[in-house]
Amino acid sequence: MSIESVDPDDVDAADILGSAIERREDPALLTGDAEYTDDIQLPQMTHMAVKRSQHAHAKIEGVDTSTVEEMDEVIAVFTADDIDVPGNLPVGWLLDSLKQVDHPILAEDRVRYQGDAIAVVLAEERYAAHDAVDAIDVDYERLEAVTSPQEALNGGTDLHEDAPDNVALDWEIGDEEKTREAFEEATHTASIDLENQLLIPNAMEPRAAVADYNPSTEELEVAMTSQNPHLHRLLMSGVIDHPEHKLQVRAPDVGGGFGSKIHHYADEALAAWAAKQVERPVKWVATRTETYLTDAPGRGHETHGEIAMDDDGNILGLKVDTEANLGAYLSTFAPSIPTYLYGTLLSGQYDIPAIHAEVTGAFTNVPPVDAYRGAGRPEASYLVERLIHLGAREMDMDPAEFRRQNFVPDDAFPYETQVAVVYDSGEYEKTLDRALEMLDYEDFRERQEQAREDGKYLGVGFSAYIEACGLAPSELAGQLGAQAGLWESSLVRFQPSGTVTAYCGTSGHGQGHDTTYAQIVANELGIDYEDVDVVEGDTDEIPQGMGTYGSRSAAVGGSSLVKSSQKVVEKAKSIAAHQLEASEDDIEFENGEFRVAGAPDRSMHIKEVAEAAYLAHDMPDEVEPGLEATSFYDPDNFVFPFGMHAAVVEVDPDTGEIEFEQYVAVDDVGNQINPKIVEGQIHGGVAQGIGQALYEAAEFDDNGQLLTGSMQDYAVPKAEHIPEMDTDSTVTPSPHNPLGVKGVGEAGTIAAPQAVVNAVCDALEPFDVDHIDMPLKDEKVWRAIHENGGGD
Amino acid sequence: MEFDGTFTIEDVSTEEVWLALSDPILIKQSLPGCQFLTRIDDPDDVDFDALQEAEPEEDPVTLPEADPEDISERAFVESGHYAALMQISVGSVKPSFRTVVTIDEREFPEMNATGEGSASDSSFEMASGMTLVETDEGVDIEWQAEADVFGKVAQMGQRVISPVANRVVSRFFGSVEDRLTEVAEDEDSSGLRDRVRNLL
Repeated sequence: MSIESVDPDDVDAADILGSAIERREDPALLTGDAEYTDDIQLPQMTHMAVKRSQHAHAKIEGVDTSTVEEMDEVIAVFTADDIDVPGNLPVGWLLDSLKQVDHPILAEDRVRYQGDAIAVVLAEERYAAHDAVDAIDVDYERLEAVTSPQEALNGGTDLHEDAPDNVALDWEIGDEEKTREAFEEATHTASIDLENQLLIPNAMEPRAAVADYNPSTEELEVAMTSQNPHLHRLLMSGVIDHPEHKLQVRAPDVGGGFGSKIHHYADEALAAWAAKQVERPVKWVATRTETYLTDAPGRGHETHGEIAMDDDGNILGLKVDTEANLGAYLSTFAPSIPTYLYGTLLSGQYDIPAIHAEVTGAFTNVPPVDAYRGAGRPEASYLVERLIHLGAREMDMDPAEFRRQNFVPDDAFPYETQVAVVYDSGEYEKTLDRALEMLDYEDFRERQEQAREDGKYLGVGFSAYIEACGLAPSELAGQLGAQAGLWESSLVRFQPSGTVTAYCGTSGHGQGHDTTYAQIVANELGIDYEDVDVVEGDTDEIPQGMGTYGSRSAAVGGSSLVKSSQKVVEKAKSIAAHQLEASEDDIEFENGEFRVAGAPDRSMHIKEVAEAAYLAHDMPDEVEPGLEATSFYDPDNFVFPFGMHAAVVEVDPDTGEIEFEQYVAVDDVGNQINPKIVEGQIHGGVAQGIGQALYEAAEFDDNGQLLTGSMQDYAVPKAEHIPEMDTDSTVTPSPHNPLGVKGVGEAGTIAAPQAVVNAVCDALEPFDVDHIDMPLKDEKVWRAIHENGGGD
Repeated sequence: MEFDGTFTIEDVSTEEVWLALSDPILIKQSLPGCQFLTRIDDPDDVDFDALQEAEPEEDPVTLPEADPEDISERAFVESGHYAALMQISVGSVKPSFRTVVTIDEREFPEMNATGEGSASDSSFEMASGMTLVETDEGVDIEWQAEADVFGKVAQMGQRVISPVANRVVSRFFGSVEDRLTEVAEDEDSSGLRDRVRNLL
């Protein structure tokens, strides 16, 4: 069911939106013509390396840089004592209970995770900088480290004076009393204790920055691996005390982020600050080890959940208690992830009359935790779908039918959940039915029964996921604690010859925005796709922007481009009307052509209008020359994509090995701008979700030392580990954005883990295995079977 | 991380093994990468550079040539502190660990020690012990160590560290064995044995 790419030349201009055209960014990415941050070479450029704590928790008794200062190629060494600016990384999401703690860019007297920055060296050459860093002598007094939120909250050594018992935040959502009553009324309940393990993002390109300061103009340019250059500019300008209008942040080609390049880290700020100190360009590129030690990991929940049902299998209530790992300090958006991006999704696709969730965020000696592809929503969906699996088992009902019975019905939209959000649109049975058809479900159950008799253990696992993308409107985000708006801005500009440059404040890093945004703009303006160029990721070129994360680019950035294009068309229309000597009301616009109604011969193409607008020889009164428009689009609500994923696996009870027989993904992401890109996002997302289900986990020893600090020890799945996927989609447009799109960037990652775990637990039902914590490594699966007396 | 093992040396007595493993000179020469191993007074104030400079160009003789009484004189003492500089190749890195060891217990045939070492980007803390057991063939050295490793070396993971530890341990005991075998092959060996026994 794979979608065929098409050449844009073979697509009619009128059909460009929604066509599976090839990505225009790929030739540069594939041939090496792309420019990544590390490709940038500037005259007189210096190289920065960071001295990092070897301990997860220690007092710093002294830092001796004397031998380093004498080294030939060393230009400068800086420690916390040299920092003459605020140098404190801010948190961008506040909650009432949040304990805001200092997060210095260089540790002063204490380090709180392995990798915490202590000093930086600038040298003439990259390897000299790293050698010099090795020669810095740090005197530590080691302290007890704690890496699990549960242990941190229950007697672990405090990390911060201002956060007793390591409590970073205490948060709840839903109605506790109503939920208590629902559980009293219930005749059936099921419960689970699970861990949603800490994951390391593993973007292909490590974080990097090149900073260049001009002392005469005081202009500071920072090229860096960013998912949101404007946000980085705003935060960095405060951290290093440099005026925002003299600071340019630019994202060259960026090799993936998965959330890890949203946040403002110490390293990029240090590179920018250091460039001012030495008045020479500074380049910093993280080694792969540094990305493992310092890129914000994701997930890290320890949760108790319960579900309550009546005799007929109707869900009555859901109760959740989560301890969330926030790491050593508060990363940029950390407080929002285990709260508003998690608790608000706990209703899943279901009509649940009572929900209550409590979340305690804990400081621990792991790197600051933040958004990682899915960010809060995979944790919610995993918990809900695991509880649904156990609820169906408790009711002795078929898991597909148990879901169907409890779905939010099609006629209930917009649907207000018990956890503070309103779902825009959904037709959940449609994706379930399509998935069942693709699975040949009834036949599968027969095969499963037959196989069990033959000593073979097959299982199917469902994942009816929902996600919330394009967090909005800004007013709501503000009420929830965001210290930023969540609109998106764009500028659509005609050149006199009729070509167009579209600027957007999002910042793609692999998503294919150059292609999809051009499709959107070409469609709105009625011009050739090839005549539209897209620019993102540069604060000097783009009016303003909020960036790319949370699957927001199409829904918010794309819609902003629609708004700007529409403004351009409006202006063009007035110019066309003037030149065609007709009333504006009589002008019709179709496929790029302005026509006078009833007089089809009198027409003017929008490209001609552009030329006329720049010649400005004959403009209507009150209309300025030029043809461009800017807009700031602030959506009315989130969008809520959904879908049904299902995994079919066989588990070998003698070895614990899991083998995929089938993986089905039916996604509804609203209207699709480019179905090939949608499919690619699903493929990549599912691969990442399977990575979490079966292979990946950030593991630490008792001293907080990362045991999975390289690709040899941290298993990112390879192609051979990922099954063929049967993908299909349904389309339920979002009613509240002009494109009717929802969001697809995180769908697969959110959906896949519970499909796999549910399938394994279904396969192991004869052994009474209720739950196995991810990653489902062979040994763990084998033990679960054997604890219940199965297998050889 | 925990490591343990038993190393068997044939045709020797527990007393001979004890004498060998009591000798800082022999230990230094047997430990791959050990630059020096010197008794110190204050474990909290060690000048490694000075110790390295003070290190004589040639070591005093040790087994098989050394006089047991000389060895006994310089043997490890209970509650004694020792400083060592150890360079170990782990994967692509070659850190030099400034190490301080304290002999916590030393009572024939058992010895326990704790130590910690630090290099620029890595460090370790270790507790180790060994017991000598006389067998029909010779002596079994039963040893165990528990180590916490920090920093870059820890990052390499047990998969890399374990083979390194095994290599160090097997080279060390191999060297001790070679020297003791030379002692045993020495015509005066029975005499040495008696003198060692008397020392204990």
